[in-house]
Amino acid sequence: MSEFISKQNLLTWLGQLIGERNLVAPTRVDDLLLFRKIDRVEDIVFDFDNTTLSPKEWFFPSSETLFYVDRKDGQTELMPAAIEKETAIFGIRPCDAQGMTMNDYPFLEEPADDLYRQHRDITALIGLACITACPECFCTSMGGGPHDTANVDILLTEVTDGYIVQVLTDKGKALLPDNLLATADVSSPLAPVLSEIPSEGIAEKMRQAFDEPFWDRLADRCIHCNICSYVCPTCYCFDVRDYTDKERIERVRSWESCQSPGFTRIAGGHDPRSTKGSRLRQRFSHKLLYFPNQFGALGCIGCGRCVRACPVNIDIREIIQDVQQLGVKSEA
Amino acid sequence: MAVEYQPKIVGFLCNWCSYAGADLAGTSRICYPSNIRIIRVPCSGRVDPLLIVKSFQQGADGVLIAGCHPGDCHYSEGNYYARRRLALLHTFLEYIGIEEERFQIQWVSASEGKRWANVVSSFTEGLSILGPRETTLHKETV
Amino acid sequence: MDFSEEIRSKAKELLESGTVDCVIGYERATDGVGARPLFVYQPNDIDRLIFDQTCTHNLTKYLLNRKDKATAIVVKPCDSRAINLLINESQIQRDKVSIIGVVCPGVVKAGLDNTSGELQDTCRMCQQHTPVLYDFLVGELGLEPDVPDTYPDVTGMEDKSAGERRAFWEEQFSRCIRCYACRQVCPGCYCLECFVERLDPTWVGIRIAPGENEVWNTMRAFHLAGRCIDCNECERVCPVNIPLSLLNRKLGKEVEELFKFQAGIDAETPMPFSTFDKEEKLGISE
Repeated sequence: MSEFISKQNLLTWLGQLIGERNLVAPTRVDDLLLFRKIDRVEDIVFDFDNTTLSPKEWFFPSSETLFYVDRKDGQTELMPAAIEKETAIFGIRPCDAQGMTMNDYPFLEEPADDLYRQHRDITALIGLACITACPECFCTSMGGGPHDTANVDILLTEVTDGYIVQVLTDKGKALLPDNLLATADVSSPLAPVLSEIPSEGIAEKMRQAFDEPFWDRLADRCIHCNICSYVCPTCYCFDVRDYTDKERIERVRSWESCQSPGFTRIAGGHDPRSTKGSRLRQRFSHKLLYFPNQFGALGCIGCGRCVRACPVNIDIREIIQDVQQLGVKSEA
Repeated sequence: MAVEYQPKIVGFLCNWCSYAGADLAGTSRICYPSNIRIIRVPCSGRVDPLLIVKSFQQGADGVLIAGCHPGDCHYSEGNYYARRRLALLHTFLEYIGIEEERFQIQWVSASEGKRWANVVSSFTEGLSILGPRETTLHKETV
Repeated sequence: MDFSEEIRSKAKELLESGTVDCVIGYERATDGVGARPLFVYQPNDIDRLIFDQTCTHNLTKYLLNRKDKATAIVVKPCDSRAINLLINESQIQRDKVSIIGVVCPGVVKAGLDNTSGELQDTCRMCQQHTPVLYDFLVGELGLEPDVPDTYPDVTGMEDKSAGERRAFWEEQFSRCIRCYACRQVCPGCYCLECFVERLDPTWVGIRIAPGENEVWNTMRAFHLAGRCIDCNECERVCPVNIPLSLLNRKLGKEVEELFKFQAGIDAETPMPFSTFDKEEKLGISE
């Protein structure tokens, strides 16, 4: 027996949530699927693979004001940016939820990032288990799974006429509408089977591959835009600048990518990662070697967004396979 | 009491002709609306379309470029380049939704003080009727 | 259409003779359907090269990374215009590039295979099916298409009201995440310091927000006025589907009407904004 919510009751519940807090869910924007704040339940998309951009922007916005300093009548007033009301993200996939947990490592390690912490504290995750998988998905090779309950507050799994409801945390429990749930004798469908990517031992292989000409050859076609980093749930580099007008100074943080030329350019003009190969190697080293070394988990959660979005088909799955083979094959 | 809408106009005036013409309007005590904020540039050819687009982004309701009459440029050719560049910019601004009445290019010589005042007066009046341009400055993304 | 064999044969010849150090072409992508750029340095990689109607990428941007090295490159007609542009603007040397031009009926939409026949929108409006510049031609010279109205997309936008256009572009630019893929893929964008990267003075800054996005996208398009060769790569690579070609092609249409000029048709005609006509009347203050 499982906790169950009918499709109709789910819509009712989501409507209630819209009234009490910010509800963020996948919605159609032109022909894209994006996580947006929802005003009407009819705008929510339930039948989808995954969104183009990850939900990380709800914890780590593409641009965020860190604080304001206002000068009025000779007085200065420092105002930290305020976080708005409670939020629930509906429709987050287990891989993306795992991605948010991965982001907790750098952001919440002391001294914690206060704004990120506030976003995390006020946000509940209502996950949606994956019934099908995109061709590019490989979460099972990266420590996750299509029905993984580890990183969400509630997980819904679609069955006939409704969803199995699994409540994982107190935050999830507090969100639930008791009178809309039932128990039902339904079992979860089998999770979709994904292709296996040989991620076992990849960190050590990446360390060994550091000086290989493989990276320069791969980087030949990389155009060094920011797409992979920006669609990725677990990329978190940013830049901080102050913007001023007569009365207000605003400190803003915005997304940045290690892929863009000049990312590591420093005062005096020196650039330790001036070559295309060194920048490309950096991203994969961070995901597959440095992040696991530092935090004990792979930085990539296998959502496949970078694979879909890269204009020149730089494919992390292919890279993992190639790097695993590098020691085995003789020099190309 | 309702505050009457006052258009904010940014003007890029070339140093040699139009700025001098505006100065002449001043010394001749000819009145014209003070909505225009004047930025002096060496030549209308120096005016980068980026400056104009940025002015609109920062909240300008109208932008006016003034230079020497073609053939009279202090640097010989600067305003010929400006003419090409700004003619194209005018159609482009309209295309991205900035009404064509908000952007004007005028050739004003150093002796045309009265004309300068007329140009600014009619531009300001047109903009008052058109209304403010809602700025996208600091608009939060969804 | 599939010219893989012809491409391989020409590439092999150029590499083995030492004419070039590298052939830039295409190979099959990991989805088994689309294409991706391939750099061939050794003859034993030649067989990876393909050429069919999935080969949408404009490879000419990569020539700017190999300015002093002899390179062969596979180009479609639109791509070949970029080479003329880069020669005209003194960015590459003609004698360093061996151009394998392909007669192109158009490329298919993303995700579709070579046999689908469903062309990209931009290819349906294309007037140039033969490369304008090449050393070796693959495919038969044939009649150019009779495309009566070459800018229906632009006139469609022009016919809307100013308010409609404003709302449209606001919505489009609000989605921009400033990944700069449009700039990175564009052969016309090669400034060592892009205006958007300039922080002193800050023209755009790092804030990702609608106002800044509008300045970014409109000014990048304007910097390509009279220079854009209409390969549509910018729009193809955009991860949030902003219809950038509507901006570039509007400027292309105006430049064609005002100055009778199209970018990249040859490498000699002076660029429209580097020159002027004293007598021309352009509707300003007359």
